[in-house]
Amino acid sequence: MISCTEFIPAYSELFRYLEERGGKQEVVAYWEYISDSFLHNLRQLVAEHGLRGCWMYWSHTLNEEAADFTMEIDDEAGEFRITMHQCPSRGLLNALEHMEPYHDYCGHCDVLYRRILEPMGFECFSDHSECDQARCVLIVRSHRHDTPSMG
Amino acid sequence: MPKEVMRRTAADNPYLHKDFHGAMSCGIQYLHERFGAEAVREYLRRFTDAYHAPLKAALRQYGLPALAEYLDGIYEAEGAQYELAMTDDELVLRVQECPAISHMRSHGYAVADLWVETTRTVYAHLCEGSDFDFELQQYDPLSGASVQRFFRRQTP
Repeated sequence: MISCTEFIPAYSELFRYLEERGGKQEVVAYWEYISDSFLHNLRQLVAEHGLRGCWMYWSHTLNEEAADFTMEIDDEAGEFRITMHQCPSRGLLNALEHMEPYHDYCGHCDVLYRRILEPMGFECFSDHSECDQARCVLIVRSHRHDTPSMG
Repeated sequence: MPKEVMRRTAADNPYLHKDFHGAMSCGIQYLHERFGAEAVREYLRRFTDAYHAPLKAALRQYGLPALAEYLDGIYEAEGAQYELAMTDDELVLRVQECPAISHMRSHGYAVADLWVETTRTVYAHLCEGSDFDFELQQYDPLSGASVQRFFRRQTP
């Protein structure tokens, strides 16, 4: 058995394997497949609860993943934000001295969630400029506003 | 509703996100359908080489106790019902129900057709280059109940 505590290295190696088989496009095709076939619960929660569905979905996953984060929702402003101070997945990969993370490991987050949320009428903004240090920001807005501040 | 804020640190929760089993299964099934069964096995061997490099080294250096410590660690963490018996030459792990399959079935995730390879291929490859070999003596695909045997190779 591959334990769920070992999934992240397995995920990273799967991206690397797919890229060797068919290039980056093969990796992105897989990310799209996961988004379409695996993240039903996010899609369903957002369909039922709107922006608050994001809060409900990530309340579950980020706590089970023991993430170091600040999550905010402002219903009136129509904005949901995750500020990841230490991503448990990227942090785990960075801590494995004998393994290199897949070079665009963090890229999957943007593809997976944007692909669900944007067709449902939300806008997604992400800042991955510090993702190699396991830090990132995700903002979801429920209607068109000016581009939000990442700070 | 007013603005809400949730702040958590890593120390606030244990690291155990069992839905990752569903994601792993999804990946195995995707590889199987896209590239075939041998691709699944090849990927799992590469994962083993990369991730389990320290465990492979420990198995070569310390033998079965290194493996027993690893297996206890993951099956304890998953809350599995299992028994592990070990001598100098043999380690037998009896798993009453695979915690990954149990979680997937109870949460509506599809179990990949080749899920068994996450045990059979990974552990067989883990043993390559060591004095030991692996056989999956029993496996129930519905529950994942299994008898897994690691044993010292006979030298001619």
